[in-house]
Amino acid sequence: MTALLSARNLALSFGGVHAVRDVSFDVEQGEVFSIIGPNGAGKTSIFNLISRLYNANAGELLFAGQSILQEPPHRIAALGIARTFQNTELFEHETVLNNMLIGRHVHRRTNLFGEMLFLPKVRRQELEFRRVVEDVIDLLDLQSYRNKVIGSLPYGVRKMVEVARALCIQPKLLLLDEPSSGLNPEETEDVSFWIEDISRDYGATIIMVEHDMNLVSRASDRVLAVADGAVVAVGTAEEIQNHPDVQRAYLGD
Amino acid sequence: MRFIFKTRYQQDIDLFKHNGQRFWYGVLAVLVLVAPLFLDTFYLGELSLVYIYAIAGIGLMLLVGYTGLVSLGHAAFLAIGAYAHSWFMRQGLPLPLSMLAAGLVSAAAGAMVGRPTLRMTGIYLAIATLAFAIIVEQIIAHWEPVTGGFRGQLVPDAVFAGVDLSRGAPFYYLCLLSTVLCLLAALNLLRSSSGRAMIAIRDSEVSAQSMGIDLARTKTVAFAVSAGFTGVAGALFAHKLGYLAPDAFTMLTSIQLLLMVVVGGLGSMPGVFYGAIFIVVLPQFIAIMRDTLPAAVGQIPGLEPGLFGLILILFLIYEPEGIRGRWVKIRQFFSEFPLYRKATHKRQKSYLRTERVR
Repeated sequence: MTALLSARNLALSFGGVHAVRDVSFDVEQGEVFSIIGPNGAGKTSIFNLISRLYNANAGELLFAGQSILQEPPHRIAALGIARTFQNTELFEHETVLNNMLIGRHVHRRTNLFGEMLFLPKVRRQELEFRRVVEDVIDLLDLQSYRNKVIGSLPYGVRKMVEVARALCIQPKLLLLDEPSSGLNPEETEDVSFWIEDISRDYGATIIMVEHDMNLVSRASDRVLAVADGAVVAVGTAEEIQNHPDVQRAYLGD
Repeated sequence: MRFIFKTRYQQDIDLFKHNGQRFWYGVLAVLVLVAPLFLDTFYLGELSLVYIYAIAGIGLMLLVGYTGLVSLGHAAFLAIGAYAHSWFMRQGLPLPLSMLAAGLVSAAAGAMVGRPTLRMTGIYLAIATLAFAIIVEQIIAHWEPVTGGFRGQLVPDAVFAGVDLSRGAPFYYLCLLSTVLCLLAALNLLRSSSGRAMIAIRDSEVSAQSMGIDLARTKTVAFAVSAGFTGVAGALFAHKLGYLAPDAFTMLTSIQLLLMVVVGGLGSMPGVFYGAIFIVVLPQFIAIMRDTLPAAVGQIPGLEPGLFGLILILFLIYEPEGIRGRWVKIRQFFSEFPLYRKATHKRQKSYLRTERVR
């Protein structure tokens, strides 16, 4: 087994605030890897470093053996890294279908002029995109929302659509930022099922930031605990929950 | 109510969604084709002007309504298109090629503006484009060998294959054909990747970026395409005017163009046409009203730009979705008649969006 993503001594600071300090971890191909930590521990900052929305101050980030810290943010998706956002960042005025089709953008093979003329090649590509999108719709049970505008959907569905959109990239690595936040217990239970489905059917490696320890222990192979921007411990969910340093980070001395 | 039963993916791609649309657009097509038979020269000219504004509007709509970038300087692209077309015609280029070339020159200018203004949004972008328009106005006024300076220049007749297309019914058909082609190109763009990328940028830049959309490139392309369409409109506008001078492309023109897409309805192509009809009809309406109103009101100088501004503000407050939005609501009211709920179109408070990454 080789590491799909490995972080080496990552550091990020905003002025005097050290959001991420000296963080190193390896994510193996095919595993579900959770990042937990108290509020402000730097979990989402780590995500933003991986998706290149933030520039790291120091350290190295290797994806499939290659450094990605020099890549511009829009190249990350093409490399095979897709993500969702904590408070959903969907294209509000568009339908679910179009949101998901935007996820296929990295796979386009047509150019502007061909598209203006809507050449047969463009039509074929559209149909091909549509097939991929429909597979994802099937997987996540979004059939009834296909032509609904995002603005009219309840929060739980929006979270699903965001995952669906990320899956349309057909990523090697999927970053889920708090997939269960704002969901009710029943919906949260569903989350653990589709995480299993995704990692099985799409062979995607998953990194998720999550607060719900039930979900974390049910879905993830390994857990990374962070506090104050630094790694506290790495291990199975059980090990982490019983780790004295983790307990101290959450509860204080 | 109409329920569309979809059995093929093609149905989502097709331009017409159902037979009702095919029928009504067919009727419209016949009407505009036979219009020269029953409209006199003046109204035919006004209708041609609607088409010209609509082409410019298609361009501006792609930028403002679909990419979410505001431009207050589109009169400049109209001017660039007009002068470039006039110049190419004088060099002996055939009419269609000259119009295309004018569009391309304008698109190149659009890309040039788009590139440095990428980091700006909202009011700052509006000011930058406004500045660009003023620069272009100055260049036109002072680049005498090409533009004729303040004196202006005569636009060559639009002769193609021995037929003079510069006025009357032939000109009407030239405008109609150009409009249909431009509309098709824009609609095709919107149902494929490039168009969706623009929409993605409008709704969420952060998320567009993480979906693999190159913000800089897509915005530049949006500016170029928008300017290109406006340039083609400029070429037709040159023939409509007959004589080009810098005062034909002022800030008021830019505001009129923006007014057109806002009043028509941002984010919809039919809205462009409602808006175009609106800005062509309004000045005529004001002219008629001037005669009937008491002299104290009717003779106020600057009544027209004042009214344009007032209407823009009223639309922004009371119907941000423009004429198109109002029409959709009226249609829905009748299609769901006794069951229509007032709150259907109330704007919802949206959920918190990620504010950590900006």
